[in-house]
Amino acid sequence: MFEPQTMSKLLIAASKDQLEAVVRELYRHNLFHIEDFVESNAQGLEGCKIGMPLPGASESSSELVRIRSIENTYGVSSKSMDADEQKMPTSEVRQRIERELLTIEQEAAAFSGERLSLENTIRDYGTRIAELKPFTVFPANLADLKGFENFVVFAGLVPAHVSLGVPNETFITAYDKSNLLIAVVPREDAEEAERELFEAGFQSIPIPDENGTAGERTVWYTHEITRLEGDLEVVSGRISAQKVKNATFLVACDELLTAEVERAEAPLRFATTEETFVAEGWVPTDTVEALTSDLQSATGGKVFVSEVEFDPIEDAVPVEYNNPDFSKPTEMLMDVYSRPQYGEFDPTILVSIVFPIFFGFILGDVGYGIILLALGYYLRKFLKEGAGQQLLVVFRNASISSIIFGLLYSEFLGFALPWDPIGINRHLLIGSHATGHGPDVVLMLVLSIWVGILHITLGRMIHMYNASKMIKSGHLRSKVVFGQLGWILVMWGALLMLWSLFDMPLMPVLAGYPAIYQGINGFGIAGAVLVLVGIIFIGRESPLELMELPTVISHVLSYARLAAVGLSSVAIAMVTNYIAIELIIDPQLANLSIFGVLIILIGIVVFLIGHTLNIALGILGGGLHSIRLHYVEFFTKFYKGGGKKYEPFGKLRKFTED
Amino acid sequence: MVVETMTIEVAQASAVGFKAIGAGLAVGLTGMGTGLAQFGIGAAAVGATAENKEMFGLALLFTVIPETIVIFGLVVALLLLF
Repeated sequence: MFEPQTMSKLLIAASKDQLEAVVRELYRHNLFHIEDFVESNAQGLEGCKIGMPLPGASESSSELVRIRSIENTYGVSSKSMDADEQKMPTSEVRQRIERELLTIEQEAAAFSGERLSLENTIRDYGTRIAELKPFTVFPANLADLKGFENFVVFAGLVPAHVSLGVPNETFITAYDKSNLLIAVVPREDAEEAERELFEAGFQSIPIPDENGTAGERTVWYTHEITRLEGDLEVVSGRISAQKVKNATFLVACDELLTAEVERAEAPLRFATTEETFVAEGWVPTDTVEALTSDLQSATGGKVFVSEVEFDPIEDAVPVEYNNPDFSKPTEMLMDVYSRPQYGEFDPTILVSIVFPIFFGFILGDVGYGIILLALGYYLRKFLKEGAGQQLLVVFRNASISSIIFGLLYSEFLGFALPWDPIGINRHLLIGSHATGHGPDVVLMLVLSIWVGILHITLGRMIHMYNASKMIKSGHLRSKVVFGQLGWILVMWGALLMLWSLFDMPLMPVLAGYPAIYQGINGFGIAGAVLVLVGIIFIGRESPLELMELPTVISHVLSYARLAAVGLSSVAIAMVTNYIAIELIIDPQLANLSIFGVLIILIGIVVFLIGHTLNIALGILGGGLHSIRLHYVEFFTKFYKGGGKKYEPFGKLRKFTED
Repeated sequence: MVVETMTIEVAQASAVGFKAIGAGLAVGLTGMGTGLAQFGIGAAAVGATAENKEMFGLALLFTVIPETIVIFGLVVALLLLF
């Protein structure tokens, strides 16, 4: 919790005849993050070379390429498939690859060839129909326009009627805002005719190579396209039947061969000599023992495994989160920003708690919450794994929080629920039913400012904790710690001064005490002293940081968005209801007529469009603003990030088993 | 020229009106300010993300920084109106 997993650096050395066993065991455990070996004269590994792939690597990769190409034809992807209850034993997969792969491959190639040729023909016929289109107004056989020895045929579009000065026979008729012109002139006059035509704005179009009138041919091609599309459907049907039949086998093959290829290529990342190899890498500390003993038993004790000392700050230690299940999905929001460094404070848990609260505070509405919840469940069908799935869980938590806040605010799609708001009233005075004193804007603003003050103070305190843990030099460390303390002092000092001057709701009342100096009371002076001391501390860390002093105010005020964005969303919802129901639907319901029903339908459409837009804005407003407050206002106070992702060598098997 | 007598009701009504105008200006002008600031940052951020997907988080962060301006406008407007 609050820190990435502790890692150990392992060094595994053995003779080369154990290479395959070691690689296989490491792959099975899926724990060892390999540190790539770079040929250099690093101490201890002088003269070592990068290893050679295990035998069988190239066969496996070429088979894998074939499998991937079949998967491509059938549109199979292991990501979109759920694992079967019954996993396929690897021996069976092996046998079937030898027995069936060739047949399946040929089938797939035949299908894909057939589909391609059908698609090409359909496209070709479509082009021909387009070419024939201008000639549909020409009633004669198109073949008659070709094959003259002594005549030249011009066909094309002209903007206006034109009469040629040379002997000719011309057909001209209106076509699509222009005119189709077909002119037959003696060959010796062709040049003259061409010149005249081009002066008249003639655009030539090729005469299609067809036998029959354009109309007949178009009908024929259209029929053909319909027939071919039928054929294509049959082929697609057969392809999907084959897909259903082979999908399980294909993904199992893919998994098995990918594993083989990855295993075979692992030695490329190891250091080797003539007879031995050395693999360096990282594993979570609590798994070291199990991994070591399994490696020993897999090799019959012929392997040397030892933990190596490392510097947790200087070395690029891979980082794996260590969070309770509740917070795991939020790791995705952290990865979007940056993974924490090794040993750094990991704020995932804080984000996973505070983010939904912010979201709910902004978009507190039972109706919207339920709609978002349903939307999230619907999207689960499409996003099955990885970041998308995590995002949906975060989204679900946010929606639930939105429902809870909606119950407190007593809001349902902008309408009031049958009870008064608890704590905070966000009902604006819109519409004829509006009663009461309007929204508690000032209360909400002050509340959000408080959230900001506490959030930022927490951020600064975490920075102090991080600095005291991660900075080794005592002098620098105390400078940073006191610098951060300075920021806190400046903020709270400024607050004290404000409190001593003004009465504000939800804030301590410090005004009204007897003035000590120039109308400022004791609290004001204490505040001024705190600000001064704070500025000295900040300046001691780095004078340049003093330029950032205004951010004390702007970052805290930035939290006012929690109130402001939320209120604007309520306003849109209430205005939508007002327009749709009070202005459009209600007057029609009062004296119903047939025309009135139409108006009511329009009212319903307005209602739906308004709320759909507001939901979209709500997701953006609630989600982006909440996460932005974390990224910009909270994280900038302490978070460094930039940790390397922990990517263990191996893979969890989904479709196959030994 | 007609000189209108300004009663207290008229004065109060126009005060409310001026408040509403002020609130509208506060949101509208700050919105334009934010937009002006964001269009440059946004274009650069999309470019950076297209080149390197890992930039997304940082790019988003840069893009939303000017949003604070319009939020201030919104806060001022709300304080004016309520």
